Amino acid sequence: MSDSPQPDLVAPPSRRRAFGQFWRSAPTSFKAGTIVLLIHVLVAATGPFWAPFGAGEMRTGVPLSGVSWLHPFGVDQLGRDVFSRVVHGGHIVILLSLSGTLLGLVIGAVVGLLSGYWGGWVDELLQRLLEAMISIPFLVLALLAVITAGPQLSGSPVMVALVVAFVYAPRIARMARAAALDIVTRDYVLVARLRGESAWSIMRRELLPNASGVLLVEFALRAGYAPVLIGSLGFLGFGMKPPTPEWGLMIADNRQLIFASPITVLGPGLMLATLVVGLNLFTEGLARILGRSTRPVAR
Amino acid sequence: MIAMRLITGRLFFSLFTLVLVSALIFIAIEIVPGDVASRILGRDATPALLASVRERMHLDVPPVERYFNWLGNIAFHADFGRALTSDQPVGQIIAPKVLNTLKLAAVAFLLYLPLALIPAALQALHRERPLDHGLSVINLVLLSIPDFLLGTILMILFVVNWQWFPAIAGLRDTASLGQFLWAVTLPALTLAITMAVYASRMLRDNLIEVLDAEYIRMAELKGLSRLAVLLRHALPNSLIPTLNVTALNLAYIIGGVVIVERLFTYPGFGSLMIDSLQLQDAPLVEATVLISAAIYIGANLLADIGAILLNPRLRRAS
Amino acid sequence: MNAPDPPPPLLSVVGLDLAYRHGESWRRILHGVSFDILPGEVFGLVGESGSGKSTVAYQLLGYRHPNARIEGGAVQFRGRDLLHIERRELNDLRGDRIALVPQNPTTALSPAMRVSRQIAEVLRWHGAVLDSAAAQRRVQELLDEVGLPGSAARRYPHQLSGGQQQRVCIAMALACRPDLLVLDEPTTGLDVTTQDQIIRLLADLRSRLGMSMLYVTHDLGVLAEIADRVGVLYAGHLIETAPAATLFHRPGHPYTRGLIASRPQIDPARAVAGERLRGLLRRDQLPPGCPFAPRCDFAEPSCSVNSQRLERIEPRHWVACQRWRELPEPVAQPQQRSGVLRDDGSGPLLTLERVTLGYGGHRRHGLPPVVQDLTITVGRSEIVALVGESGSGKSTVARAISGLLAPLAGSIGFAGELLAGNLRRRNPRLRRLIQFIFQNPDASLNPRARVGEIVGRPLQLFFRPGRAELRRRTLQALDDVRLGPDYLARFPDQLSGGERQRVAIARALACEPELLLCDEVLSALDVSVQAEVLDLLGRLRRERGLAMLFITHDLAVVRALADRVGVLYRGQLMQLSSVAATFCAPFHPYTLSLLLAVPGARPPGAPALPPAAHAPGSYAGCAFAGRCPLQQGSLCETTPPPWREAGPDLAIRCHIPLPELAQLAAAPGAMIPTEAP
Repeated sequence: MSDSPQPDLVAPPSRRRAFGQFWRSAPTSFKAGTIVLLIHVLVAATGPFWAPFGAGEMRTGVPLSGVSWLHPFGVDQLGRDVFSRVVHGGHIVILLSLSGTLLGLVIGAVVGLLSGYWGGWVDELLQRLLEAMISIPFLVLALLAVITAGPQLSGSPVMVALVVAFVYAPRIARMARAAALDIVTRDYVLVARLRGESAWSIMRRELLPNASGVLLVEFALRAGYAPVLIGSLGFLGFGMKPPTPEWGLMIADNRQLIFASPITVLGPGLMLATLVVGLNLFTEGLARILGRSTRPVAR
Repeated sequence: MIAMRLITGRLFFSLFTLVLVSALIFIAIEIVPGDVASRILGRDATPALLASVRERMHLDVPPVERYFNWLGNIAFHADFGRALTSDQPVGQIIAPKVLNTLKLAAVAFLLYLPLALIPAALQALHRERPLDHGLSVINLVLLSIPDFLLGTILMILFVVNWQWFPAIAGLRDTASLGQFLWAVTLPALTLAITMAVYASRMLRDNLIEVLDAEYIRMAELKGLSRLAVLLRHALPNSLIPTLNVTALNLAYIIGGVVIVERLFTYPGFGSLMIDSLQLQDAPLVEATVLISAAIYIGANLLADIGAILLNPRLRRAS
Repeated sequence: MNAPDPPPPLLSVVGLDLAYRHGESWRRILHGVSFDILPGEVFGLVGESGSGKSTVAYQLLGYRHPNARIEGGAVQFRGRDLLHIERRELNDLRGDRIALVPQNPTTALSPAMRVSRQIAEVLRWHGAVLDSAAAQRRVQELLDEVGLPGSAARRYPHQLSGGQQQRVCIAMALACRPDLLVLDEPTTGLDVTTQDQIIRLLADLRSRLGMSMLYVTHDLGVLAEIADRVGVLYAGHLIETAPAATLFHRPGHPYTRGLIASRPQIDPARAVAGERLRGLLRRDQLPPGCPFAPRCDFAEPSCSVNSQRLERIEPRHWVACQRWRELPEPVAQPQQRSGVLRDDGSGPLLTLERVTLGYGGHRRHGLPPVVQDLTITVGRSEIVALVGESGSGKSTVARAISGLLAPLAGSIGFAGELLAGNLRRRNPRLRRLIQFIFQNPDASLNPRARVGEIVGRPLQLFFRPGRAELRRRTLQALDDVRLGPDYLARFPDQLSGGERQRVAIARALACEPELLLCDEVLSALDVSVQAEVLDLLGRLRRERGLAMLFITHDLAVVRALADRVGVLYRGQLMQLSSVAATFCAPFHPYTLSLLLAVPGARPPGAPALPPAAHAPGSYAGCAFAGRCPLQQGSLCETTPPPWREAGPDLAIRCHIPLPELAQLAAAPGAMIPTEAP
């Protein structure tokens, strides 16, 4: 990149070649994570069309009959094919995780960056409030949010996504604020202030581009934990409602029957774990590419 | 003295945060749709009965006043009110459950320490070598398994397959120590593994950071042996991060027990919280959530105080 | 291999080849480095950043980064090869026979351990003392030896100043009376006067204890003070070794000549003739032959192909250059100084009238202001230098002028207008006419913006040009700092340090300013790059009539660039004079101490300034009292000294009569050091 003369006159190197170069030099964890995620997305997107049975289809086989070619993840109590249900549930888990995290990221980043840039009493007030929200343990806060939302919303996908966003936003805001506080002390922000740039312009030109790496990694980290959170809610009976084929809910339902048919729990568990492994690998690789360190999500 | 000032400052902030948390919880419960009195009475509700329940629960008092009464009773009389469902004092319901959870947490913590420290130390000392990479992969996989799934897998292995442990970790008051340990091992192990994978990764990075510090190289160049460098220079300086991670984990136990106790039907604080949330027993919900936040804040406060006391820069500043 | 009949060397480095892991491959960092250190000799190793000098130093302790590997050679010490002995044997030598004084004492001392324990640890470990009582006694002796009070033993490192921390490191290194002391840039990051004290301490210890030293530095001036023999390292090749005096007077290698000529000299009479260095050390662009060939003015095509070996050109003087016989005599470069001031009668551009500056916290804690009663002017197209050590308040002055810090008292005027203290109340024209250039270009350029955006943004903001016009003017600004259009699309991390600083200057020039505030703009740069930026600034003033307030700690730079000089000590202006008057008598005692502290500039036997007292401004009188070698009893402590015009170009704030000050300069030996308070 550095030795291309006259960037305006020379066509950029072909995208495909640039991508190939990037892929070859990417860390192994990034490649592995991307592949796992691609498979998951592919299954989630196309699964409903090729799954052998419907998500709610009963009497597909002998209940709790264990592993067979027709039923790789077994058959549940109601005679539903667990594999088909898992495949049907993929897009629910992925969409809820991503939309919830994205919403949390947008709210958190805006609040955090603004708070960090403005400083003063607004910042102080916001920080105390965020601190209080973070003090309520992760899962407890989510549960509290669920019952506060009330019985009407209970079990709706919108509510689950909102809860994810609500739980994540304060934590992401704290991160974004820390990034902003660090960037604000740099001389280039001072240069912009000396020039008389507006706060908005400084946010857009100086803060956001330099916080984007932190925010991206934070997003990926949180997205990696979101399926676990959604699953936990389902497991405890505060998330999606049966018969939705949400994986955590399926694990909770079939758990009663592990003596008879452990595979009905391990199947959805395998999918959930591989999705999270994929997201975590991807995040670690991404952080390596961006030159940042990751730490697991503080729960 | 700077350290004392910092500690009092931290104390004050923690208290302030706790009060703010109590307000948040109160508001959250307050905006739960539906009238509490009609929820309690259900189909039996008559206007007269509703009114009497409202009066008994002081629901006719404005919310702000109710909040301060509630907070005042907690702060000055340790009185959390009475549960809606059983009409017993909340304190009496919670105390034995907290005790059970403390027992569980204690066992979990004992299991957690070696599970976190040994891999972290091994990884830091064999940095970027096969052992480090191998442990990293195991760590990442374990990190990706949700605790409810991990508990279920342990259950399938130890209960269904090998039948070493009971499926239900119910506790009787008369349980001997052996019976207690028999019941508590699996839930404690689940908690310990979830905490340890999280901690060991942060500890590895912290330890590596300390080992990379210039004063470690300086100590080596003074002629000290590897062991002496590790014990005299690296370890004291990695104490503070270790403390912080441990505090975070203490705080995590509170969230973790919710899942694990439910999974193993262990009669602890977490189970109580879920029950109260499902029954929407407002005083009980408020009390359990407030206590869990207090434990989180308390653990972080202790870690901060520890860090202040361990840091010579703050301990005796001129 | 050096002297005709040398004593057996204490330590020999023989053909050292070392490589660092670079992704999957290994990159050679040291190429066949060989030198000896004789018993009692101080061998100086000089090189730019990236030359590999510190890597060489650590090999003398048998220490390697995990990503480094030895590819050949040996380090012979007492019949053993330090590169290939067991860790156990190495541990017996390290700290005992060969000891290190590190570059950065602040990070090298264990933060959670008292100083006494850290020193005693070495003593006990190597069995130099038998019990802890003896260890404590020995620690006290050692602290005394390095000029620290005994009470320092009970301190934690962070409770000591940088200079004191370095003294602790020296005490620790001396603890077992080693045969060889390895010093890795031991004074980088310290103030001039502190650096001077440390060098004197080392010279004194060496004469008393008679140990050998390897002194690694980027600063040739320091080696002039202390080294017996100097080796010059370039891109991992040792290209010249010579006795110090020979090296300075008859440098053999073109690189050494350039290095010496690139140093701004305080004394123009002593300036060494020669071509200055151009370009940069780029490891990725080295030819297989002479590594310096791409930057060399005398290179011929075969230089890039033939590998160069050290050849003896006179006794004890070795040079690795195939052309050393044919090199022309160095030609003196005229000092590019304009000096001529255009006085068009419109009055000064910038005026500071009795400006007092401070931060909120300072006042609350009852501390004196950071800058007190400062009155100074900068004329149109004049360069005024503000000189002082760290803590003198010189950068605070620049902050106030730029509008980041409102003065507590006094006024700042610009071209006849009164400048508002607060930036937000200044109009865009004023914000445009005064431009700030920062010390560290790494921090002052947005790493996520391309050069084109960085330079173009002020143009957009102030002039609102069209697309074509914007591009034209951006290119023009880049051209002003000699950067081509191919830089437009680059990010700052694709530039070298010097290029980054030039982009920062281009960004300021794009605003078409009248005044540049330059805050230590050279101190983060290598010597050769410094010379380049210095030339650029000089040219800008000549061609565009830019005025500058040039803030620096480096007197040599001042002499090369400034018209007038203000010397600041703890927020008080001690002396204000034309550049010529600054460097000759009479001096303010503090100015003289600064001058004497510059490495390589001091007459032999001149005394050092005592260390700075710890409570700033503890006297009602002169700020320099308590540290001044010529203090006039209690008068200086109690009465503020008068501001006296000593001539048309010179004003001094001091109680001492001017004739006495004038005599002082003639015989600087008269400045008898006083003990630290």
